[in-house]
Amino acid sequence: MNTAVPTWAGVAASIALVLPAIAVAWHRRLDLARDIAVAAARAGVQLAAVGAILLLVFQHTGVAGAAGCLALMVITAGRVCAGRSAGLPRALPIATTAVAVGSGATLGVLLALGVIAPQARVVIPVGGMVVSGAMQATTLLLVRLRDEARTARPAIEARLALGLPAVEAFAPHLRSTLRTALIPAVDATRTVGLISLPGAMTGLILAGVDPLTAIRYQIVVMYMMLSAAALAALTAAHLAERALFDDVHRLRPLTAGTRG
Amino acid sequence: MDEPFAIAVRTRTCALGRPGADAPPSFALDRVTVRRAGRLLLDGLSAQIPGAACTALVGPSGAGKSTLLRVLNRLAEPTSGEVRFRGTPLPELDVLELRRRVGLVGQQPVLLTDRVLDDLRVGRPDLDEDRAAVLLERTGLPAGMLARATAGLSGGEAQRVCLARALAVGPEVLLLDEPTSALDADSAQAVEYTIRDLVADGLAVVLVSHNVPQARRVADHVLVLRGGRLVASGPADRVDYLRKGT
Repeated sequence: MNTAVPTWAGVAASIALVLPAIAVAWHRRLDLARDIAVAAARAGVQLAAVGAILLLVFQHTGVAGAAGCLALMVITAGRVCAGRSAGLPRALPIATTAVAVGSGATLGVLLALGVIAPQARVVIPVGGMVVSGAMQATTLLLVRLRDEARTARPAIEARLALGLPAVEAFAPHLRSTLRTALIPAVDATRTVGLISLPGAMTGLILAGVDPLTAIRYQIVVMYMMLSAAALAALTAAHLAERALFDDVHRLRPLTAGTRG
Repeated sequence: MDEPFAIAVRTRTCALGRPGADAPPSFALDRVTVRRAGRLLLDGLSAQIPGAACTALVGPSGAGKSTLLRVLNRLAEPTSGEVRFRGTPLPELDVLELRRRVGLVGQQPVLLTDRVLDDLRVGRPDLDEDRAAVLLERTGLPAGMLARATAGLSGGEAQRVCLARALAVGPEVLLLDEPTSALDADSAQAVEYTIRDLVADGLAVVLVSHNVPQARRVADHVLVLRGGRLVASGPADRVDYLRKGT
């Protein structure tokens, strides 16, 4: 047994850390005490369930099970992105496709080059990180793109009215939105290790792997996150641009979105 | 040319010699209806818009004037009915080509780049500086303004740059959606002179206006809209809406 990993008794003891947060919320009448308690309990139950499912997949289903898990992650991520970008035409298929393309291409390259092993216990956690990175970039892009199409409608229509095709009329707005969507991934890559130790590296070090070995994994993780974000954002931008305009180069009316 | 109002002001033609009176119509609308989100914006509107003349679209707010303007260059699509441009149904024309032939300038001036010259080149990237200067002067702005930053322009200057930008593409028809509503009296007058100047040179102008005295000054023909319907049309000096000034 790895002494760096908490025992179940240790996990139970860590509940003590939640109690001060509940006490402060209750004492200051923040109306959050119940939410904190429920969130903490829910986190424990969710993670226990995920652990059990992963154990099942690792032991019994192999790579096929891993693929099923990844598909579920992509579908869930697509729904989250689409919820945030409500009001954008065809938000759900666009978001799901973008996350799937960004994640699939990145994982495919990693597997094809032999960088990661084609085993469920590797593909699922690595895939989870990739899907998460693709989801963040897609959400950011679609939300910004929707808002840009709303607020910049007069400028976009002024270009269309001059006879510019939709792609050219929207190009300046698409460019700035893509930049914004990719900045978090670029910044995370640039400052990795300087502001905080990244998750994969931290996990490996806690699991007893020496730091020089841990960084190898982390370098791969950073590159794949960058790739997933860029591919997902580009795919989402391309599809959203087509959805925003009709076949006679008109900006479609955007329905009111309440979330995001 | 530094004087903003140095455009040659042509004398308005009288009723009999009104420009465009004999020219074929630029647009013919046949029972055009536009419905959006359950609202009827245009209701079976049939009308003709003459070529080489200034046609004013007047009427109260919500009458459908701006919607009609957008229908004419296909920024809006009729739910039913047909619009013809110089005899050809709009769907049979290449939409980008149509928009280059039928320019639209919106109510609020929208500048698209950082510099006036660059703005004039948005729809016409090969526009040279001499031609750009002529366009500016045509709208009552000095040629020296080409190098100016768009951020520092007044509302009147910005609206005239938008007008020059639309003219740079070389349209046959110019659609103007209340182009002077945000301008002071002097700037509005300069835009009116420009409109008359363009019409005298053979351009058809369709002007949405709330301002009855302006429509009376500038327009040759008038379409009066109310509730998405055409309630009156004809020569500007014969339409009661303008004569009564209501």
